[in-house]
Amino acid sequence: MATRTKSVLLHIGLAIGLLISIFPFYWLLVMATRTTSDIYSFPPKLWFGTQLLDNIGRVFDNVDFFGAFWNTLFVASACTLLVLFFDSLAGFTFAKFDFPGKKMLFVLLLATMMAPSQLSLVPSFVIMAKFGWVGTFKALIIPGMANAFGIFWIRQYAQESVPSELLDAGRIDGCGFLRLYWNVALPILRPALSFLGAFTFIGAWNDYLWPLIILTDERKYTLQVALASLNGIYVTDYSMVIAGTLLAVIPLILLFLFISKQFISDIAAGAIKS
Amino acid sequence: MGNPMLNAEPARAPVPPRLKGSLASRLWRHRKEYLAISPFYILFAIFGLFPIAFSMYLSFQKWDGIGRMSYNGVNNYRFMLTDPEFWRAVGNTLLIWIYSTVPMLFLALAVAFLLNSSFVRFRTFYRIGYFMPNVTSLVAVAIVFGTIFSNNYGLLNYVLNLMGLNSIEWLNKTWGIQLAVSVMVIWRWAGYNAIIYLAGLQSIPSVLYEAAKIDGASTVQSFFRITIPNLRPIILFTLITSTIGGMQIFTEPQVLAGNDGGVSGGGLTIVLYLYREAFIHNYFGYGAAVGWGMFVLIAIFSIVNGLFVQGGPTRGQGVK
Amino acid sequence: MVKTRMVGLCMLILAMIAAGCGSTSPTEKTKTLTLWYWNRSLDDGLIKSVEQKFPGIRINAQKIGGDFKSKLKTTLAAGSAGPDIVAFNDWVSELFVSSDRFYDLYDLGAKEIEPDFLDWKWNFGVTPEGTMIALPIDTGPTALFYRADLFREAGLPSDPEDVHKQLGTWESYLDAGKKLQDHFAGKVKMLDNVNNVYTQANAQSDRIYFSKEDEFIGDTPASSMKNAWNLAVKAAQLKLSGNANAFTSEWSAAMNNSSIASFVGAVWMKEVLEEAAPDTSGKWRVARAPGGDGNNGGSFLAIMKTSKYPQEAFEVIRYLQNPDNQIQSYKNLNLFPSAAKALDDPIMKEKEPFFGNQATGEIFSESARNVKPAYFGGKYSNVNGIVGRELTSVALQGKNPDKAWKDAISRIKKELLR
Repeated sequence: MATRTKSVLLHIGLAIGLLISIFPFYWLLVMATRTTSDIYSFPPKLWFGTQLLDNIGRVFDNVDFFGAFWNTLFVASACTLLVLFFDSLAGFTFAKFDFPGKKMLFVLLLATMMAPSQLSLVPSFVIMAKFGWVGTFKALIIPGMANAFGIFWIRQYAQESVPSELLDAGRIDGCGFLRLYWNVALPILRPALSFLGAFTFIGAWNDYLWPLIILTDERKYTLQVALASLNGIYVTDYSMVIAGTLLAVIPLILLFLFISKQFISDIAAGAIKS
Repeated sequence: MGNPMLNAEPARAPVPPRLKGSLASRLWRHRKEYLAISPFYILFAIFGLFPIAFSMYLSFQKWDGIGRMSYNGVNNYRFMLTDPEFWRAVGNTLLIWIYSTVPMLFLALAVAFLLNSSFVRFRTFYRIGYFMPNVTSLVAVAIVFGTIFSNNYGLLNYVLNLMGLNSIEWLNKTWGIQLAVSVMVIWRWAGYNAIIYLAGLQSIPSVLYEAAKIDGASTVQSFFRITIPNLRPIILFTLITSTIGGMQIFTEPQVLAGNDGGVSGGGLTIVLYLYREAFIHNYFGYGAAVGWGMFVLIAIFSIVNGLFVQGGPTRGQGVK
Repeated sequence: MVKTRMVGLCMLILAMIAAGCGSTSPTEKTKTLTLWYWNRSLDDGLIKSVEQKFPGIRINAQKIGGDFKSKLKTTLAAGSAGPDIVAFNDWVSELFVSSDRFYDLYDLGAKEIEPDFLDWKWNFGVTPEGTMIALPIDTGPTALFYRADLFREAGLPSDPEDVHKQLGTWESYLDAGKKLQDHFAGKVKMLDNVNNVYTQANAQSDRIYFSKEDEFIGDTPASSMKNAWNLAVKAAQLKLSGNANAFTSEWSAAMNNSSIASFVGAVWMKEVLEEAAPDTSGKWRVARAPGGDGNNGGSFLAIMKTSKYPQEAFEVIRYLQNPDNQIQSYKNLNLFPSAAKALDDPIMKEKEPFFGNQATGEIFSESARNVKPAYFGGKYSNVNGIVGRELTSVALQGKNPDKAWKDAISRIKKELLR
């Protein structure tokens, strides 16, 4: 009996928390179905209206939403693929091979994680300018295509889960270095890769400050920058801004719901390990 | 490293180590490994190390980004240390960090604790729900919360009015903006931290609790004597992550309140200040100096933080 | 076998990057002019017509979003990547120090068309040394936007003529504000924000922060700065402000909800207001501004030194800004003409339903003719930002105005030494 009351109270507590977590999404959806006057009205209108398609139509009229969507998808995918490739290659090498200076190089790698990123905002921009990369996707993709966190993550995973015997066996079969990586290690590393991939993809998808500084031409905008400029330029047509916000949020939420279960437990495991 | 180390090449008779050129040949023998790990180091040298060195140089220069650079001595640093707005930005950042981190970590702990109870059903469902804010883009979050905290049509003022209270011009008040930004941070990160704490809770062996029960310990006692000490490394981890994140907070105040951090400047954080001075006012040399100032602050802060956390719960550990 | 696959993967990734960043290489026959502008600063249809009008010229028009000025300045730092033709806003004087990065339009034939343009606007684009770096696009003559219905209800004049006569000075305007707010018991505010009072009072003057020699004059009697400051402080002390900044959703909501009765703004605020406050259509009027006529904003076109075809670029911008096309842009986008001739066009007499069928073009034309030629100086926006922040703390946090003034002046002096 006591457990029963406890359980009910507990679920009420959790449900309230959940409601707070979910409410802004609901609110976003409600506002996206309303006119600008409705949004500005006080008391606020708390239930859905009928303007959703109309608002979305105006988003498409005013910004190249699909262009921004593809730009973001391209940048985030390219980042993710490159990060996965370079990080897994390096992580695997660190975990399973020995070579002079390995320990030192790995410590150096860890130390770079402490390097202050805020320092590099201005100089990085200057470097991009010197390379002629301002306004291009290269500036968004290349600097981040191998990162210390990912290498560290893959190394930890590979150390525990790639059996050395398997590598030995592969070697006896005449596999070279790349073949060991590609045919033996990669399949085993898949869970670690899927987490790193999702993590990188979400990060790249939501990145704002750096693209804001780098991208100039509207046709190259990523969703976040397009959304912010929509909010800045068309602030008077607020229902459209809100509908654009909704559109920018949906793809990632869908992706997340798709991968959520595995992703969440991977994150937790990652935190515990490090 | 505990693991058997393997070479890419089949084992051969080792090259005599003292021979001249042996190092070079050893390095050459491992060229594939070096090649495999090299991208990171090359990228870091170009996009990590060089910018840091360059920003050190730049912080002693006067440069508007268009004309020529000219040596400026320590003037950038002097200006920074005597600029009330810089200190204001420091203060704002600290306040927002405290307003957000303390409630966030407590909430996360509470949620994790509830979720960890043995009789919770739909645990996966809750976890997904609590985690969802974290994958939402900051720009979107700032726009939505802007409508919640709005002076004129905000949901929050509506709720206040329902309770018979007067509306508050949240976004016209220093603390109002700081509160709005903090709430955004809490909303976005509490679930994330709760998931991490939950994983930590689940890794505590249940034998410990059972033993405590046999010794007659209450739930509260076992919380403070078993749960907290065992979670300590994880709490430290979340504290460090949120410190680094909190010191670098930018998008929320910028989208919510603009480049000046709002009508009353309450949202002017250090990074926003840096962004404004460098990229809006075009004082690039000064921006670099502010970057270094910020680095020093974060370093001091992390050290203090570490001491605090390490020092605090030692008593708890003694009991264990 | 595996190696080729690996190489294949790398190639694929590189190809993806290359494809994503690919640039179109201009062919030799057509001359491509890259144009940077921001949304609504030029008529898109007019830009398209350039290629028909000038065979052999291709226009690569790029709309730059976000903070245009900082984007432009940071890209100037990049050196080579700039456009041929670039739009400036009213911060044109901030680029005077870099005037060597732009063609002197006088060298390309600008003298010929100078008589077509309003003097004061033309001179905004000319450096104190006499180099013309930018050709006018539109202007932003200011006037008082007010709610005729609310004014009438509060016992204030509501006809534009009467408003101009009785509320012709800032003092009388602020007093009227007090009367209006007393009538509505604080439910309606007279104006949007005190910083706007400050900005508008300065916009009516020809001496604001700097002399032509770039000396700071804000703390001397010659400048309008202190007077504008005092007016804004008075507005704050009378609590006349709705504390809503233009271009925020707060402002839009306040306008649409009828909680603000008036504001002084440039002609382009018409469009902003119409979009922000559809529910108040028909209730607004426009009268000559208290304190006199002024100007806010209005943009320019310049030609970068890196352009390979300066003469062609000049012919293009000359075409874009000829009086006929200016009238067309006014029709399509509400870009108020900088060509004097266009001010006499019948289009200025067109009635507008949003303003209760008033022909606001007449008011703004008159205002445009009377703007005083000001010199802004390279650091106008930095200085204005500093004063604005101090004013805000007076208005919203009750900071002592004298202390705020002293802080502002000392901060400005420090800023100018940076």
